[in-house]
Amino acid sequence: MCGISGIIHKHSSIERPANVGAELVKMLESMTHRGRDSSGVTVAGQSTDGDLIIRIWTDDEANASDVLARSEETVQRAGGVIVDRVVRDEFLRLTVNYEGDIPKLAEALLNTEGVEIHSIGETSEVIKDVGTPVQMDGRHDISRLSGTHGIGHVRMATESKVDISHAHPFWAYPFPDVTVVHNGQLTNYHSMKRAYEDQGHHFQTRNDSEIIAVYLADRLARGATLEQSLADSLDDLDGTFTYLVSTRDGMGCAKDRWSAKPLVTMETDDVVAVASEEVALRQIFSDEIARQEPQQSEVLTWLL
Amino acid sequence: MRALNRRLKDLAAEGAEITVTNPGARHNTGVGIFHPCKINIEGSVGYYSASMIDGPEITIHGNAGWALGENMMSGKIVLTKDAGASVASTIRGGEVFVGGNVGARAGISMKGGALIVKGNSGFLTGFMMQKGRIIVCGDAGEAVGDSMYEGEIYVAGNVGSLGNDAVVEDASEDELLDVWATLERYGIAERPTFTKIVSGKKLYHMDSLERLEKAAI
Repeated sequence: MCGISGIIHKHSSIERPANVGAELVKMLESMTHRGRDSSGVTVAGQSTDGDLIIRIWTDDEANASDVLARSEETVQRAGGVIVDRVVRDEFLRLTVNYEGDIPKLAEALLNTEGVEIHSIGETSEVIKDVGTPVQMDGRHDISRLSGTHGIGHVRMATESKVDISHAHPFWAYPFPDVTVVHNGQLTNYHSMKRAYEDQGHHFQTRNDSEIIAVYLADRLARGATLEQSLADSLDDLDGTFTYLVSTRDGMGCAKDRWSAKPLVTMETDDVVAVASEEVALRQIFSDEIARQEPQQSEVLTWLL
Repeated sequence: MRALNRRLKDLAAEGAEITVTNPGARHNTGVGIFHPCKINIEGSVGYYSASMIDGPEITIHGNAGWALGENMMSGKIVLTKDAGASVASTIRGGEVFVGGNVGARAGISMKGGALIVKGNSGFLTGFMMQKGRIIVCGDAGEAVGDSMYEGEIYVAGNVGSLGNDAVVEDASEDELLDVWATLERYGIAERPTFTKIVSGKKLYHMDSLERLEKAAI
């Protein structure tokens, strides 16, 4: 079991963002009965002045400062100018002025020893950690992040180990700004992964959910719309899933043919909030408004 | 939630009329109440609410999460808005009325009682139901009555598709009058015609022989 949630402010923009970080933490904290192994969020639609946000983490606790310093050197060698850096233990957040090819930069970082990339985004970033959302907020100040939309996850691990790299959201390496949170299990993960690896894709984890992000980002990069990519996934992914995707343009969801995992949505003129359970939506809406429940094989998108 | 349910139990034993405010869509609201009483819940409830009850009449002014009224023995549940998946799962008696729509697997494994849905029902309505009655005034999703053993499902709107071993049967006049009378008790005056769905009972027995069985013949 896991809990997922997402929120999008329909009239917001990068210039006029909303308190997405704080809203996601509130929604996710109300669903910790669905999982408290790890938590994570994507805050998208952030103001970056054209810079990239890079989120890096290392599991090499003893040599964390060396590893993180190495990753900064890698960024600089690739032609990036570091505008801002925030270090918290094994976590590094860089704001980088970079004009080059993003997949090239991602590959250089991936090949830097000890480095794991949580996200590279032009307007978004992924923050994830073990523990509950409020604990994570205390460590990473998520509540202070504003944006146009975001997605989040609380995890009860079923298919792979409990650690930070297997926490959601998963970033679609090396495509900027595409991230996914997933509730369920994929049964054709290994065959899909082999097919993608044959095409030259790299995976950072052994978590089945990572492939959803790569799958969608790959489709989007080939020119498909978000809605079409989500609809295609209903046939191509096997197993149980309700997942949310965040892109630069907005947010979407897809639910498997068995309707195995829950999702409810509430919408006003200004805001759409979605979550595994209504209890999370009640953190956003105090008024009695209509609740919708997507059914089996249903996809929805909300674009800015 | 445990404290609330303990208090509800105590008040129910006195036969009181109880109002719960601000339920906040939390799970397990009003679980395990075994006495006839009236409970009004002003707002939405979460999963397994009003489950494992025997006797009370519970009205919920809002939505419910998954498995509303699971394993109810007797009593009545009235929900004014929508229910999630698995509403009235495994109930053995009593009635569940939903004023809005219900999600997937409504009435899964019902063993008696009745589920009445004013709106639409989702995928796999009446999945593996064993007894009892489901009435859907709107449309039912795909695979209605899949693998049902006994019981009846009445759908007034469109039937998305019939499930495995589910068959349509003509409803008798007496049955229709009975369904309409049930609807009337919940303030539904219309008298729609219904598609009645029951078990084809083909799944009661294996319809093909194993390889060794064939060899033995």
